Amino acid sequence: MTMTRREFLATVAAVSAGVTVSAPFFRPRYRIDRRPGRSRVVLLRLENYSRPIDELLFLGLRLFPINVQGKTVLLKPNLVDYIPGNAINTHPRLVMAAAEAFRRLGARNVVVGEGAGHQRDTELVLFESGYERELQLHNIPFVDLNRDELLRLRLGASYTDLEYLWLPKAVLASEFIVSMPKVKTHHWSGVTLSLKNMLGVVPGNKYGWPKNILHWQGIQQSVLDVCATVPIHFVIADAVIAMEGNGPLNGSPRPLGMVVLADDPVAADASCARLMGFEPGRIPHIREASRFLGNSSPVLIDQAGEVLRRPEMPFQVVPHFQHIRAI
Amino acid sequence: MYSMLALQREHEGAYAGALRCLLDCQNPNGSWPCFIGDDGEGAWTTALALLALANHFAEGASQRKGLQWLLQSAGKESSWLWRWKFRTSDRQVRFDASKFGWPWQPNTNSWVVPTAFAILALRHLPCAWSVEHSGFRLERGTEMLLDRVCPGGGWNAGNGVVYGVPLAPHPDDTAIALLALKHCPEESAVRESLAWLESEALTLWAPWSLAWSALALAAHSRCVARLLNCLADRVGHIDMSDNATLAVSALALDSERFLALLSS
Repeated sequence: MTMTRREFLATVAAVSAGVTVSAPFFRPRYRIDRRPGRSRVVLLRLENYSRPIDELLFLGLRLFPINVQGKTVLLKPNLVDYIPGNAINTHPRLVMAAAEAFRRLGARNVVVGEGAGHQRDTELVLFESGYERELQLHNIPFVDLNRDELLRLRLGASYTDLEYLWLPKAVLASEFIVSMPKVKTHHWSGVTLSLKNMLGVVPGNKYGWPKNILHWQGIQQSVLDVCATVPIHFVIADAVIAMEGNGPLNGSPRPLGMVVLADDPVAADASCARLMGFEPGRIPHIREASRFLGNSSPVLIDQAGEVLRRPEMPFQVVPHFQHIRAI
Repeated sequence: MYSMLALQREHEGAYAGALRCLLDCQNPNGSWPCFIGDDGEGAWTTALALLALANHFAEGASQRKGLQWLLQSAGKESSWLWRWKFRTSDRQVRFDASKFGWPWQPNTNSWVVPTAFAILALRHLPCAWSVEHSGFRLERGTEMLLDRVCPGGGWNAGNGVVYGVPLAPHPDDTAIALLALKHCPEESAVRESLAWLESEALTLWAPWSLAWSALALAAHSRCVARLLNCLADRVGHIDMSDNATLAVSALALDSERFLALLSS
């Protein structure tokens, strides 16, 4: 097979670009291996948020052998900012349904915690996004992770140069952490799902709004370090109305009519990426996380509930993430 | 630091305690930490601490050390290498990297709120007036705020446009920027932002945003009686667990004293 000079240069450029993107991940930089032998993902059909959620979610959770008896459960939604009409935040009704379900499963305490990444006025964003009313109605405490008491913790991996982070006491004291992302595209990291959602535990009072130090250290690398340090025990992802395009704030709503439950955050994110029409292996933090935080291969994932179908048209993404689309 | 600004000298014991605590937690490099026990590298709180100490002439040494640190602290885009990067390869956010201010944390970009706090500190700290470099930083910081304004007025956390999409302004970020730009009322960015905040403030009820909005609008000679009534009502009815929000609310309800400090 012969190759023209132009083809040769294009190939060299493509390989170089791939090496540049992947280079930070070639050398394993983790100290723990949390991958389970097998992972479980359940897809629940939920067309809209006005449908009854409580029983659906409770029955969905019963499909997992989870034990929260007597434990403190932290629900970590994605609550970034509020822009009318934009599907930015995990819907409060889904979060409340999760809280009720964990209470029914015997949890001692259920708290909702978030450190909003853009909006510094937590009360304003809680009110505008509908959380305040729902939290009051269900008598569920909210912890502002941006302003909680902090403890210094050595990171469980070294993809960034940070070595340690100051993290909220409420997060570190929780015995069962549930990442509840809004399924969205993201203009800096490709997607924001259960792993990326955990950057919300990094406190703004210390690191600023947004948490710019994580951008400078590399978002994909920061996600890996934070998730290696703060374990996610369960995932409930809001893909009822997802977001495509210029996420995480200014994309367009994209209805998927699905709630994704998983006992492994990597399996959850890989499944969500497939639901979005993406190839999870092309998203650096998911690919790397599958080496030590969970399973991304369908062979290692027991899938239940609805059938996972890739959409005919993958989610729209900003130009430099076109390569993550599977079609 | 917010509490120190809000406390009046009449509250003698509490005030003296807060002052002692503030002076004791200054880092050896002159900066202030985000909280007691924090790393010693310094942060955005240095500007707030200096503002709180602005009228404490007896604490000159502490002020000068803090000022020195503040003048050395700059957004990462202030270096030629990063300016070049932002001009050539990293163009998704629209901003002029030659106009820089202050970061939240060392080794990160300039952002609106820390820049506005630093401008307020430099303007009101007497020992800053004779330092030549302070004028240069004030000028660049002011230019940075004017450059990052959202289309239509107001400020978000940093840039006004990302990926060609205008960002929505935040009331608190806008108010703090307007306090720092009190001396530039003729700038169109300031006029547009004031108009936006005046209209937005009427819809607010969260004490943090309401208090900052009242302070900024009062500083620009707008009538804030209605906002203060609303704030007083809110403060009286909710259980406020966050000290910073409580202090900023107290400051707004006693806005004349704070504005006198800014006019000194």
